[in-house]
Amino acid sequence: MSKYQASKGILSDIISRRKLLKLAGGAVVAGLALPGLAVPARKKPAKPNIVFILGDNHRADAMGCSGHPFIKTPGMDRLAREGVRFENAFNTTSLCTPARASILTGAYAGRHGVKNNHTPWNYRMTTFLEYLAGSGYATAFIGKWHMPGKGLPDLPFLDLFVSYTYREGQGSYFDCPLIVNGKDMPSRKSYISEEVTDWAVEFMGGKHRRAGNARKPFCIYLSHRPAHPPFTSPEGIAGMYRDADVKSALPKVVDPWWFGKTRRNVFQGIMMGSYYDQYRRYCETITAMDREVVRLLDAIDREGLRDNTLVIYMGDNGMSWGEHAHHGIRESYEQVILVPFIVRAPWLIPDPGSLRRAMALNIDIAPTLLDIAGVGIPADMDGESLIPLISNGRAEGRKAWMLEFWHYYPEPTPTYVGVRTDRYKYVEFRKGRKPWLFDLEEDPREERNLYGTPEGEKLLPRMKALLEKLKKGR
Amino acid sequence: MKKLDFKDRFLYPAGTVFAVMAVSWAGYFGSACLENDALHQALAKVFGTAYFLSVAFGTLYVYTVSYLRGASPGERVLASAISPFIWATKENLLLLESYGILESIYWYLNPLNFWLTCFMALQMGIGGIVARTVLRRRGEAVTGVTPASLALIAVSVAAVVSGYAWGKGENLYVIFLAGYRALFGYGI
Repeated sequence: MSKYQASKGILSDIISRRKLLKLAGGAVVAGLALPGLAVPARKKPAKPNIVFILGDNHRADAMGCSGHPFIKTPGMDRLAREGVRFENAFNTTSLCTPARASILTGAYAGRHGVKNNHTPWNYRMTTFLEYLAGSGYATAFIGKWHMPGKGLPDLPFLDLFVSYTYREGQGSYFDCPLIVNGKDMPSRKSYISEEVTDWAVEFMGGKHRRAGNARKPFCIYLSHRPAHPPFTSPEGIAGMYRDADVKSALPKVVDPWWFGKTRRNVFQGIMMGSYYDQYRRYCETITAMDREVVRLLDAIDREGLRDNTLVIYMGDNGMSWGEHAHHGIRESYEQVILVPFIVRAPWLIPDPGSLRRAMALNIDIAPTLLDIAGVGIPADMDGESLIPLISNGRAEGRKAWMLEFWHYYPEPTPTYVGVRTDRYKYVEFRKGRKPWLFDLEEDPREERNLYGTPEGEKLLPRMKALLEKLKKGR
Repeated sequence: MKKLDFKDRFLYPAGTVFAVMAVSWAGYFGSACLENDALHQALAKVFGTAYFLSVAFGTLYVYTVSYLRGASPGERVLASAISPFIWATKENLLLLESYGILESIYWYLNPLNFWLTCFMALQMGIGGIVARTVLRRRGEAVTGVTPASLALIAVSVAAVVSGYAWGKGENLYVIFLAGYRALFGYGI
């Protein structure tokens, strides 16, 4: 929990419980067995290494370990087997750029100010990488930065900064021109995920670090391009789901020839092929990224770093593939706001291979990593350390959090703000739509808007009050 | 070549394509409401295909027919553009849900409309050749293939090929977004 939240008294009934849980979690981390809590398997390293892996547009259910009917993700499955997978992990803004800024700063977009994909990085807040660098970590940002501005930002605290500005910062899947510590450089490997993983493996092995940093604990932020359109995978993976039963993974409303090629116009993007083929290629692109997760985990093993390295895999946002006749991101539907989130930390997890049902957010990443590294959590972070939830499967998480979205030209989704509780979702739009209110327990597909119904009228005051509280705390 | 009245040389060709577009649009989106999945899939294919053909290739029909019915060059172009313009405008109206009128108008410059305009020009070039060939067979003293038609075909094909070759069209979208930011900032 951040000091900011405590000082503001947001959801005070929740906080008191979380305080207790945090203390309990801390006791577990320290190796003190409490009644009813499991004992950690290994001793906590003083300054664990950190590898944070970020996927793009990766739906939470598009992994073998989350029950997808055909996709193969042995790397993520291994992480889930050796760590814990959060079933209810969310992004707070369902758009690439603000979501990435939220991960780096631990703050809602309304606070860090990077509100849509046109808004440049503004240095308003300090990233967790800078805090870690200041506490003795060798730090690397490798891969997709994807925040606009004049070139890449100036982040002098990083030992290694490998990224690209090509095509609005999206880069290209093959032979992407890189910028390495401010200098233009061609890609050494053809496929982008292989290239960025190579840099991460080399950094882990002590290369590309400043003088005197070779033996320091490290933090690597590894940000992949998959699975952003145009879905493209390398040889050996391209075509591997050609015969997969795609229909079983997509909603009934989808038709293979025309659906989703458009923004409600039927043929935009016709050059992309059939919708079923697009989805196959999407899955192949995720598998291509996963192959690099496997390689990275193997490299961690080879370096003998497994027991003192925290590995996290997360997505920046999910994606609709036909649900609600919608394709893509931005909307507040569950398929879009849910993200894959897996944590492996051998010294912290007493029950590897299990699930966590408590709600975790992208804004929790920064405070969690600082907490793991023994660095104080700054008061301006909205997120909370997830250590209590990671280390204890029975710990209760937050009860409510805020959804934010600022319209992003030319996408046809109005600006909205909302609240997501463990049961309900309430969303207010700035213009163009009446509010949405869904009971996710009774209506998990979000097909019945309760707003304006007698049932909804009863819920509305509570939802509005909760939203106002969260807005004030932002 | 006999010049038919405005209704026959302009409204009927343009209206035919518009009717196909409107019916297939309604049929396509309506089919998604059907409980019977097999029927939905079949109708979606039929109506989706008709919708696509009406928007993307309707110009060939409208331009050729209106030419044969005596429409002037301006009338032919205008009649050909009606359905694609309505199709594109539908999306602009959708943007009004989130944006102001000027931002919605800027959407006309998006790369998709660039491709569509190139295809329309290509079809006008081909349609002109087809119409003049038909007229010639009917005994009229016209040249089938004219330099203007060939030039229109060449320019439109070159624009499509070069636009696609330049980053598979993605760079056009990047320029479109850069233009938006230059005019409207971050949009928030």
